[in-house]
Amino acid sequence: MNEMLTELGYTLGKIGFMLAVILGLLPAMIWAERKGAAYMQDRIGPNRASIGGIFRMGGLVHPIADVLKLVFKEDIVPAGVNRFFYHLAPFLVMVIALTTFAVIPFGDALYLGDKVIKLQVADLNVGVLYILAMTSLSVYGIVLAGWASNNKYSFLGGIRATSQMISYELNMGLAVMSLILATGTVRMDEMVQFQGHLLFGFLPAWGVVVQPLGFILFLVALFAETNRNPFDLPEGESELVSGYHTEYSSLKFALFFMAEYANMIVGAAIVSTLFFGGWQVPWLSTDLLRAHAGPLLTGSAIGATVLSFVFTAATWRHYERFRGRLGDRRELEPLILGILFFALGLATLGYVVFQKPWTIDSAMAAHFATVAQIGSFLLKTVFFAWLFIWVRWTLPRFRYDQLMRLGWTTMLPLALLNFFVTAGVVLLVNS
Amino acid sequence: MAYSVHGPKAVSGGAGARLRRGEAFYLVEIVRGMAITMRHLLYNMFHSSTMPTLEYPDERPEHGPWLRGRHRLMKREDGSPRCVACQMCATICPADCISILAQDDDRPDVEKSPESFEINLLRCVYCGMCVEACPCDAIRMDTGIFELAADSREAFIVDREFLLNNTTDGVNR
Amino acid sequence: MAKIIVDGKEHECEEGQNLFQAIKAAKGRPLPHFCYHPALPVAGVCRMCQVEIEGVPRPVIACNAQVKDGMEVRTETDRIADVVQQILNFHLLHHPVDCPVCDQAGECALQDQYMNYGLYEASVDVEDKIHKDKVKPIGELVMLDAERCVLCARCTRFTSEITKTHEMGIFNRGNHAEIDVAPGRTLDNNYSLNTVDLCPVGALTSRDFRFKRRVWWLENTPSVCAGCATGCNMTIDHSEGTVYRCRPRPNVEVNSYWMCDEGRLLYHRLHDEDRLRTPVVAAEEGPRTVDWDEAYARVQSLLTADGGETRRVAVIASAHATVEELHALGRFADGIGAAKIGYRLEGSEMGEADDLLVSADRTPNAEGARRLGWSQFLGEELRAQASSDTVLLVLKNDFAAFDENGVDLLSAYAGVVVLGTHQDATMDLADVGLPVLSYAESDGLFVNEKGRAQELHASIAGPESARHAVVVLAELGRLLGKEFGWEDPAALRRDLVATEAGWGALATGIDRTGVLLDVVSDGAAIGAESGSEGGGE
Repeated sequence: MNEMLTELGYTLGKIGFMLAVILGLLPAMIWAERKGAAYMQDRIGPNRASIGGIFRMGGLVHPIADVLKLVFKEDIVPAGVNRFFYHLAPFLVMVIALTTFAVIPFGDALYLGDKVIKLQVADLNVGVLYILAMTSLSVYGIVLAGWASNNKYSFLGGIRATSQMISYELNMGLAVMSLILATGTVRMDEMVQFQGHLLFGFLPAWGVVVQPLGFILFLVALFAETNRNPFDLPEGESELVSGYHTEYSSLKFALFFMAEYANMIVGAAIVSTLFFGGWQVPWLSTDLLRAHAGPLLTGSAIGATVLSFVFTAATWRHYERFRGRLGDRRELEPLILGILFFALGLATLGYVVFQKPWTIDSAMAAHFATVAQIGSFLLKTVFFAWLFIWVRWTLPRFRYDQLMRLGWTTMLPLALLNFFVTAGVVLLVNS
Repeated sequence: MAYSVHGPKAVSGGAGARLRRGEAFYLVEIVRGMAITMRHLLYNMFHSSTMPTLEYPDERPEHGPWLRGRHRLMKREDGSPRCVACQMCATICPADCISILAQDDDRPDVEKSPESFEINLLRCVYCGMCVEACPCDAIRMDTGIFELAADSREAFIVDREFLLNNTTDGVNR
Repeated sequence: MAKIIVDGKEHECEEGQNLFQAIKAAKGRPLPHFCYHPALPVAGVCRMCQVEIEGVPRPVIACNAQVKDGMEVRTETDRIADVVQQILNFHLLHHPVDCPVCDQAGECALQDQYMNYGLYEASVDVEDKIHKDKVKPIGELVMLDAERCVLCARCTRFTSEITKTHEMGIFNRGNHAEIDVAPGRTLDNNYSLNTVDLCPVGALTSRDFRFKRRVWWLENTPSVCAGCATGCNMTIDHSEGTVYRCRPRPNVEVNSYWMCDEGRLLYHRLHDEDRLRTPVVAAEEGPRTVDWDEAYARVQSLLTADGGETRRVAVIASAHATVEELHALGRFADGIGAAKIGYRLEGSEMGEADDLLVSADRTPNAEGARRLGWSQFLGEELRAQASSDTVLLVLKNDFAAFDENGVDLLSAYAGVVVLGTHQDATMDLADVGLPVLSYAESDGLFVNEKGRAQELHASIAGPESARHAVVVLAELGRLLGKEFGWEDPAALRRDLVATEAGWGALATGIDRTGVLLDVVSDGAAIGAESGSEGGGE
């Protein structure tokens, strides 16, 4: 009984971590999207919303303001909608986006005494298939929203999402199949473990290394599945107003909006798990991490100290340069941030000097390894999430016929080729 | 021209828009495009002050004296409007936004003056023809005020007193 | 007949005719002028209408010359242009150039002539100009600005030759000459506003119209004055639903170029406070505003006796109604078998006539009513018809204002329905008051005391819920189960021409001066003559 409760507690903790990762990254993603787009287009981007008239954080307050605005807006339900599906659709989209994350391992198994905790919410035997299933399911929310809205633009958006999904799911599946052939497993944690090996003694056996074509196909298909540019035809505003969520307002629109970013984060997590070693720190296996925890931790702490002081100097310079330019409390922001960075730098410096991190014991070393792996995983995830944004502000949108041709006439043959070649290579190697 | 339904001619740009051999593969071009955007991003991160963006309410655009801003009514030395309600501005106004009611004025040197002088700023197209038409130099658009904000339509219909005291620096020259 | 050559073109005209008129007829437009006026004696003071006559060494003024056979006239030579420009320069020498505050701006001869013949650089600074009286009220209705005057003497000629009241004159000499009223006099005759019309510049302006509206915003509708039986032709100047002034419209047959002040100012009544703007029904606390449906429902209940049968109807016409309205009322009465009472109480609506324009009969269409067979006097008939079984229908008639017994007389009826324009004495006694359009708001005909039918045109729209009287009569007929089939005054006029004797002159249409109707030798026409003579006492 007690055992079960602890188990439940751990599971809830992992779910909490998962939600924290996604929901915590959401506003950061929205911020990165707006600010990144602005900087790529030689604009300044959002920087007006502030906390207390002081903290603008380079626009980081804007997502909060956005959400507040959306929460307090009128929730309009247009006449003639199918109410049940209309209300269901945004929740479906969001829930599916979140549940996909369940099978993704975010760290190596953690040993607490004699207990083994797998850093993965659901340790399924068929994790990869679960991911394929869930990504396919995610289109249902969009189709329902488009259909239930009783609006021809929404409807077209839903239809586009469906056909796009069908066209690219195939390629995604084939790419994953090739990877399964190469790794020989459908379990997520084993796949990650597999990627911890070194090929030829120096090359991490990441999915991208063993399946480069598979990676490209998978990435393109993933863009299509998440309806991100250049595949955002279901919400192509130039022809469809805003596609399937045209008729949504207030919180329900916010759900669609957030689900898009949640999908991106989950997609990024999947790519980094399948093709970029997941939580693996390159060249540092779990054992190595634990063995060299002391020096690594010391190095990290010193790095953090240096970074903090660099930031302190930067903010101070900013403060000096812009003093008197605005003439109000906003000028204090870099000063206060600078003081905080300075304090952080002092704290890490103090940690290095007084705690002597190079002398940590093995239990702490195990924890350090887990944290490092989680950090590695998050870093990769964030990079791929950023890739979504980066691509969006670089590429134009496909025309619909181009989209279909790309899917069926280019990617499908390539995926099949990749599959058969992989199969042949695996046969050769195994025999 | 890999993905044109109707052949090369259907795509705007004609033969020149044809993709070269390497471009049809997309990926290299995509990476090049992404390099361009990343270059802009990184440059702007460290040179934000050179960005052409004007941080509007904090920084204000410079404008020449030719800017036609919100109207003002000029005053005589005694502070009364210079306007003699001749209706020239209201006549020339293409937007029909000026309405003036004339009155007999008792002062010996002033025969006629505006009892009311209203401009509907929402209707106004800021063409400046009223300024051109005015025979008394009584209306000008040199305040430099180009912002229009109020919380009701009625607030945009500005009256004589408002126009007489309508300057950025409070001095009506 | 004589032949003259104007700018190389031959033109036929009368020997001895005024040359100015002859040239105007020949060229289709007048020569530049300030002082010449066809109804006033020639003064020849403005010197603007200079022409070259073959054989005459210097230019001469056309207004003071007479046509001689074979005369060769040139009006557009460089010399004439030069002379006219210099004369205009003299006129404008001391002009204050205060067009922005001048009401004449927009219809000012000085502005027109300057744009056509002037366009020179001014030779005198505004500061150096001679100053004269400005903003000087010289009468109840006229404002003088002597600086703007060009001394054309039209106003003085008018007061000495037309009204013969001699209030105005030109005083001082040379640059200091100015017009003014004679010492101790004011310009207060009943024709004083004609001087304002005559004044080609802004020297005399109307105090009634002063600063009300710029003239270029006014729309002009030709109409006929409703002030008396003379039927002076006038132009209604109105803008955005408001009448701002009335000016005489030349008609040599009726009013020449003039109009009395009284008639001009009648337009104020159109916008009076007591204008009836919505239907009203009598209630204990006074007239109550209702909508048309409710008013008609009230009429219906008045028309229905206690036993359920329909009551009798008696109608009263009016000399203020147009011919079409009177004809509609006549057909309405005949159609439902109503008694036609008359249009006026004996001796009422008569005033003093003068020997210029004002008629003693202060109604515009008494002759029209007579010709349509309405009996003149209604007093006896009104008493005779009074019964609790009869509903009285009154069209635009305020007879109660002239009869102290009105209250008693009207209360003897089962009900009183009034179609009127104002909340007047009769309307106060009405059970139902229905707002109708006034003379300025509807098309129609007035027949003046000399039997001339003249057209009114709708100028402004009138109160929003007011309807044309003929429309109201048609709707009342429908209440009584009778379909009359007219929908506008034009249909009624066609019907009138087709069915009634004596209106045939209208069949070919009416021009702006009106049509003189045939003399009708029946009792009605004789009554008309006696009426106008009786008024002239």
